[in-house]
Amino acid sequence: MADLIVSTGSTQLAWQGRLATLLELLEDNCLPVEYQCRSGFCGACRVRLLAGRVRYRQPPLACLSKGEILPCCCVPESDITLALEHPP
Amino acid sequence: MAYTTFSMRHNDQLKEPMFFGQPVNVARYDQQKHVIFEKLIEKQLSFFWRPEEVDVSRDRIDYQRLPAHEQHIFISNLKYQTLLDSIQGRSPNVALLPLVSIPELETWIETWAFSETLHSRSYTHIIRNIVNDPALIFDDIVTNKNIVARARDISRYYDELIEMSNYYHLLGEGQHYINGRYKEISLRQLKQALYLCLMSVNVLEAIRFYVSFACSFAFAERGLMEGNAKIIRLIARDEALHMSGTQHMLNLMRSGADDPEMAEIAQQCHEQSRALFLLAAQQEKQWADYLFKDGSMIGLNRQILHHYVEYITNIRMQAIGMEPAFEKRSHPIPWVNAWLASDNVQVAPQEVEVSSYLVGQIDATITADDLGSFEL
Ligand code: FES
Ligand SMILES: [Fe+2]
Ligand SMILES: [Fe+2]
Repeated sequence: MADLIVSTGSTQLAWQGRLATLLELLEDNCLPVEYQCRSGFCGACRVRLLAGRVRYRQPPLACLSKGEILPCCCVPESDITLALEHPP
Repeated sequence: MAYTTFSMRHNDQLKEPMFFGQPVNVARYDQQKHVIFEKLIEKQLSFFWRPEEVDVSRDRIDYQRLPAHEQHIFISNLKYQTLLDSIQGRSPNVALLPLVSIPELETWIETWAFSETLHSRSYTHIIRNIVNDPALIFDDIVTNKNIVARARDISRYYDELIEMSNYYHLLGEGQHYINGRYKEISLRQLKQALYLCLMSVNVLEAIRFYVSFACSFAFAERGLMEGNAKIIRLIARDEALHMSGTQHMLNLMRSGADDPEMAEIAQQCHEQSRALFLLAAQQEKQWADYLFKDGSMIGLNRQILHHYVEYITNIRMQAIGMEPAFEKRSHPIPWVNAWLASDNVQVAPQEVEVSSYLVGQIDATITADDLGSFEL
């Protein structure tokens, strides 16, 4: 099966099955993501999912608006596109 | 409507709003209007810890060796946190329980406030260990003007809500002559007081703690006051959960999904809510100035903490659908996050890499395959 692709506007990354979370992939590639609890309840890592689907191991507790995901506790389930904001 | 501890009126709890419906009668959790509060309760219970489990005895030696300006930073933060948790250990119960009308939220409020009492007890645990006379520290909390200024802004919204709901429960809506003055009591007003109170609690738990958290972790990065840092880490984990609970309440209100009138009120209070965030950010920056008045500490200074306050404030505002107030920036003290991450919180030193303390996590789904090897 072909690797799932994680696109962030500027970059395209191949999802690494050995990683536990999407956050790890983004961090390994030095992309601008925030985190605090890394367990799905504080909401600091929240980003917008523009296309595709993700899967949570446990349903997260943090507030999510429509179209938002928590990379600290999910993995991609299809090719996905994220809207990452780049601070200066 | 007068409050009753057990209403005999049969109602469908699934149709009650979070607040101002019929007071909760049967505490039942087999059905949930807002299942998130049940999830928060479970999570909070899985976090359970006791201050006595953390050995703080080495901190005493560390503390005595700290230069005076660092002792000032350490002790002042403890005082401030003691104040915040004194408020949080009682106020959600006193202010919110008489108004709540669904059982899962009622129990979340009680669970939340209970965990705050652990925080308060842990400050005594820490303080008792580092000084001979804890009274010197505790007594200053109500006289220190840098602390008192903020205490007023924090307790104000709780107090107003409590006062108003007392009148409401006693006298109902209408114009009442109370203590020589006419007072207008309306449900609408009361709902607004509740919304602002929750907003101010959210600001408290989402922003006000973080300057002291950062200082505690900065000491520990140097191998100092590590017992304290371990406790603060547990407190920080609880606080992030509390914040999430309040954000859920606010977002449910804003959306109108729970009580359509609340959505209107949220809109009306938008500017006031923003102002609450801005005021807190400003006060926390002033707090950083007060902490560092006689000198900085390694890894932190006023400027960095100001940026941290702005960074945190932006994230918290966005979580409840507000435009961030400050210039966007990346995390000014990224090492703090390693301490705030709850996937590596540990209580006892021998417990390496413990993830959150999940108890009772038993897989209750059974399929025919699981029973394949059984014979009757
Ligand atoms: S880091 Fe807390 S929810 Fe993702
Ligand atoms: Fe607390
Ligand atoms: Fe709290």
